[in-house]
Amino acid sequence: FRFKDSLAEDLRKADLVISHAGAGSCLETLEEGKPLIVVTNEKLMNNHQLELAQQLHRDGHVLCCNCSTLVETLRSMDLSTLKPFPPGQPEKFALFLDKVVGFQ
Amino acid sequence: TGGHTTEILRLLSCLSESYSPRHYIFADSDKMSEAKIRSFEQKRSETFSNSQFTLDRIPRSREVRQSWTSSVVTTLYSILYSLPLTYKLKPDLILCNGPGTCVPVCISALLLGLLGIKRAIIVYVESICRVETLSLSGKILYYFSDYFIVQWPDLKEKYPKSVYLGRIV
Repeated sequence: FRFKDSLAEDLRKADLVISHAGAGSCLETLEEGKPLIVVTNEKLMNNHQLELAQQLHRDGHVLCCNCSTLVETLRSMDLSTLKPFPPGQPEKFALFLDKVVGFQ
Repeated sequence: TGGHTTEILRLLSCLSESYSPRHYIFADSDKMSEAKIRSFEQKRSETFSNSQFTLDRIPRSREVRQSWTSSVVTTLYSILYSLPLTYKLKPDLILCNGPGTCVPVCISALLLGLLGIKRAIIVYVESICRVETLSLSGKILYYFSDYFIVQWPDLKEKYPKSVYLGRIV
């Protein structure tokens, strides 16, 4: 996949996504409503990348594993346990900002 | 840069046309943001007539994991560069979300405020990727912004002066 401009098309066609813990990858996948397994590699990653993956895992939106446990995860996974990921609400931000600035 | 631009455009998506004209400032090394911004503004102009926006580039303040001492030098250079730009634009409101680019612009705005030239409201929204710790820009601007918004409850606890609205991107 050397550097396609956008994976959006592939994402829409996928039934399962296995990804690294990059925020963009995780969030785009969850927003498409696709089941996601996040593979983390603590040695390579910035600590803060791990934060989001861990939180999404805690909230039940993704499955997590590392390179060595991936195969086992794929064998034993139950994707029905994954919870849907509600979209963010920029309208709340707009309301807040309107108040701050004085446009009510 | 990339993720930051996507997030900020989402933040802008529900703003009314009163937030005009919009001045976008990004790093000179950023190749992709211009296209994303133009695409966003193009879509916007289909709904709102009279959409006005500008694009400006400033030198990037700091590369990822750049050393402390050289970061200070490059950030100072970025501040010197962004001061005349901020003076020219005289923004009423600055909205930023974390790339190193925002620090020199905010510092310039603060200076202009201190000098009595123009007081801008600074609103900082920390990235959705930041669940437990703040970015470096966040740590700096927590003290200098008027409103500091976080998107996860842990951060609200750690930084009590912040505003928590839930996930907004």
